[in-house]
Amino acid sequence: MQRSSPPPPVPWVSTTTFHSLPTPAPSPQLLPHLPDGYPITNRPDDFNRTVRMGFQNMDNLQRQRLLAELLDLCNNEQLVFVSNYISPRLKRDFLKELPIEISLHILSFINDPKTLSRASCVSKFWHTLLNDEFTWKNLCVRHHYRRRSSVSLSSPPSPTSSESSDLSSNKRSSHFSYKDHFRRRYIVESNWKNGGRTLVTHISTDVGVVTSLQMCRNYIVVGMDNKKIHVFVASDGKHVKTLTGHEGGVWALQYIDEVLVSGGCDRDVRVWDLNTGQCKHVLHGHTSTVRSLKMKDKRIAVSGSRDTLLRVWDIQEGVLLHLLAGHEASVRCMEIHGDLVVSGSYDCTARVWDLTTGQCLHVLHGHYSQIYSIAFDGERIITGSLDSTARVWSPTSGQCLGILQGHTSLVGQIQLKDTTLVTGGSDGAIRIWDLETYQCIHRMAAHDNSVTCLQFDNKRIVSGGNDGHVKLWDIRTGTFIRELTSAGNAVWRLAFNDTKAVILLQREGKTIMEVLDFEADS
Amino acid sequence: MAGADQKMIRLTSSEGTEFLVERAVVEKSVLLKNMLEDVGESDLGTIANLTLLFFFIPAIPLANVTGPILTKVIEYCTHHRDDPVVTQEDDGRKSSADIDDWDKEFCKVDQGTLFELILAANYLDIKPLLDLTCKTVANMIRGKTPEEIRKTFNIENDFTPEEEAQVKKENEWCEER
Repeated sequence: MQRSSPPPPVPWVSTTTFHSLPTPAPSPQLLPHLPDGYPITNRPDDFNRTVRMGFQNMDNLQRQRLLAELLDLCNNEQLVFVSNYISPRLKRDFLKELPIEISLHILSFINDPKTLSRASCVSKFWHTLLNDEFTWKNLCVRHHYRRRSSVSLSSPPSPTSSESSDLSSNKRSSHFSYKDHFRRRYIVESNWKNGGRTLVTHISTDVGVVTSLQMCRNYIVVGMDNKKIHVFVASDGKHVKTLTGHEGGVWALQYIDEVLVSGGCDRDVRVWDLNTGQCKHVLHGHTSTVRSLKMKDKRIAVSGSRDTLLRVWDIQEGVLLHLLAGHEASVRCMEIHGDLVVSGSYDCTARVWDLTTGQCLHVLHGHYSQIYSIAFDGERIITGSLDSTARVWSPTSGQCLGILQGHTSLVGQIQLKDTTLVTGGSDGAIRIWDLETYQCIHRMAAHDNSVTCLQFDNKRIVSGGNDGHVKLWDIRTGTFIRELTSAGNAVWRLAFNDTKAVILLQREGKTIMEVLDFEADS
Repeated sequence: MAGADQKMIRLTSSEGTEFLVERAVVEKSVLLKNMLEDVGESDLGTIANLTLLFFFIPAIPLANVTGPILTKVIEYCTHHRDDPVVTQEDDGRKSSADIDDWDKEFCKVDQGTLFELILAANYLDIKPLLDLTCKTVANMIRGKTPEEIRKTFNIENDFTPEEEAQVKKENEWCEER
């Protein structure tokens, strides 16, 4: 492939070869003939200069030959000297000498924050380069550390903010830094894996079964079968108020911002202001226990009851908008998306309703037994049933798109996000499904008894069981990571967000609420 | 050697050494591919007899690439001539662990050569070669302490003791996690 054929092997370079070179050296006395015993040390400079010039006039191959000859004459000590002399010269400070976009490209192949942070300690230049936002933004993307969550939560104070120096001042600006963001999220992630602390533990003075739980930005709200609703501050887990008024057990609740809606055995739906603790409306109508409840927004809520009916309420005005009749048994579960509400019933069917008109659009027939759980994201409806299957339905056609088989008992827990579905069964198993293929991707033997509660996000699943254990799982691999708290008798409910988890369980006969915090603590 | 009707391209390195390369191999370089497309098919001709038509083949001078580096680049492109073209957005699973044995062997060169290879891959716009060489450097950094990195690349620690202490403190959050 190379056109110019290599020159023939050159014999040992003789003096004549030197003189025949195209650019003869200025000095006429190249490699002077030295008589034996010539005292070189007397004129070392002259001799060295002569050799240097001769060397400069050689071509590459000649130089290599001369060097090889000289090296062959060296003893071990001299070779070590040569080696130490040469090896640093063969090295390059790649990140400093390459164009910066290539240096950043190199860094983009390093996913490991430990290496990156160590690299920033190498030199001033590396330190500056390693503080480049591009690298850390990349790393945030690679680790799925979305930016949104950090903006809303208070940003942690920087650990070195007190010292002022050239190195730190440029990145301590007031605006967002991907490196700080990454650092915080990295600590949070590792706290989930093997750290965290218990922010608060509440031991209920009165016994009662926890029926419902919701945690959002401001509050943690807990509904009990002893008629009470307890409200806690989400940031520190402190108990702020107890809402009393229901005359029977509370079985369903939801809140958006300060508006809370609850329902239960007393057949009433109550609308509360969480900030003041006042009950704003008591909505009568159902003739049996309110078993499910969902809010469309702060104005519209839907309740489902053991009386087979769903009621659509204007919770601002406190009036009934629609009565949705059709189910032939208790309405056990419900989900709202847009103007559609889907309900699952003990009559083995699910129904799709139009919230604005109150019309039933579809009846979803197929399950052989009661429906206990439902999920709906606008594109797909998933129902979980006592017949031990989950079914996927189209909300537009009402057709059954797929049957998910594998559980050996009631599918009581369901969560859906995009094409990922996680189900928990009374068989103690958790299954992760891909809704594009309807295949079960992972199956975990999670609990000795029923899975009573589960939640997942794009990183993890947290599950609770009747066996009293709370377990953390990796959603991508389905592997068990650890137990989040010491076991109790039974876990009632749990909820988590990026940095906190709330667990309600029975331990040693008492009802206990634990708030775990995984926030970066610096 | 190439088949009889294979289109050939002459590449000239910075010192004037000429390389006769199949067009399919040359086109691994986006820069040269675009250049050849600009020149157009007709000017290149089909080669029936290498020795006869040699001097009709257009030569592309590459002033930024030395002969030894160009040799390596051609070696790489020849080995990977049939690889599918990787799209830009295809690197979601970027990691430097996935280097195959041939590529690993190919990158067993001194740092100077690696350095020049990176520049050549960047200049010639050969994305897979740029990625490979950059991954190789990334692998040389990974898992090392700051002192080990300095040794690997012969970098002088130019922090004052105070600065070094501060930088260390700033970065201790990812140790032991």
